[in-house]
Amino acid sequence: MARILVADDASFMRQMIREIVESEGFEVCGEASDGVEAVDEFKRLQPDVVTMDIVMPRKSGIDAVRGIIALDPGACVVMCSALGQEALVTEAIQAGAKDFIVKPFKPDAVIETIKKVLEKDV
Amino acid sequence: MDMAKYRQVFIEESTEHLAEMSSALLKLEKNLADGRAIDLVFRMAHSIKGMAASLEYDSITQVSHGLEDRMQEVRRAGRVADSEELGVLFRGLECLESMVAAVRATGKVPPPEPALAAVLANRLDEPPPEVASRALEATAVAQGAAKKKALTPIL
Repeated sequence: MARILVADDASFMRQMIREIVESEGFEVCGEASDGVEAVDEFKRLQPDVVTMDIVMPRKSGIDAVRGIIALDPGACVVMCSALGQEALVTEAIQAGAKDFIVKPFKPDAVIETIKKVLEKDV
Repeated sequence: MDMAKYRQVFIEESTEHLAEMSSALLKLEKNLADGRAIDLVFRMAHSIKGMAASLEYDSITQVSHGLEDRMQEVRRAGRVADSEELGVLFRGLECLESMVAAVRATGKVPPPEPALAAVLANRLDEPPPEVASRALEATAVAQGAAKKKALTPIL
């Protein structure tokens, strides 16, 4: 069972992602509410996948991706973006993120994207 | 998904965000180039937009998106231009407060405010000043109504 770290400053979004991924049998091994916490929790929990919001306090999602990739170049990070953030998503992919999902979340798309990055990781 | 649960989370989290946004705007009143306050207003607007979009609260999504767009410009400029622009930001805050209060009081999403959203976003296709002015006045009236409604217990 894949272990997922959910990073988002909005509790609303963390709960929603948790519900979506747990319904598919994935385990949410941790949550982070800012970019600094995301990197720290990645280091501590070594999750299979991280879902990463872009706009977060203390450290942005993109900087958190850089921090995580510096720790583990093969890390699977999926960005959570909103419409209009295409340039930021591109920057995140260049920083090492594997894929992205768009808010508002469609459960099928979230699951499909996570499965896709996990398959590529095998 | 239990959307009633998420509606409650939205109300609680948006109310906290709007309080933080209000404090930040008051800081900007003293210092139009307060970078931390500018970032905070941007993030709060962005966060409310994401939650509202997830619940298909289109009117709230539209206004918060407009505010986020405006704050993106403010971030690029490094400061709020002047007290007039600050006034527009306060209008956005007040409109969102009234909309969230309406959701809390009635469980229903208030009607859209396209003119206000356009003024907030500072779009090139924004309506002529007199139309925008009427929209802002209408918003002020609607806010008063929503606040009254929010205080009225649901029977």
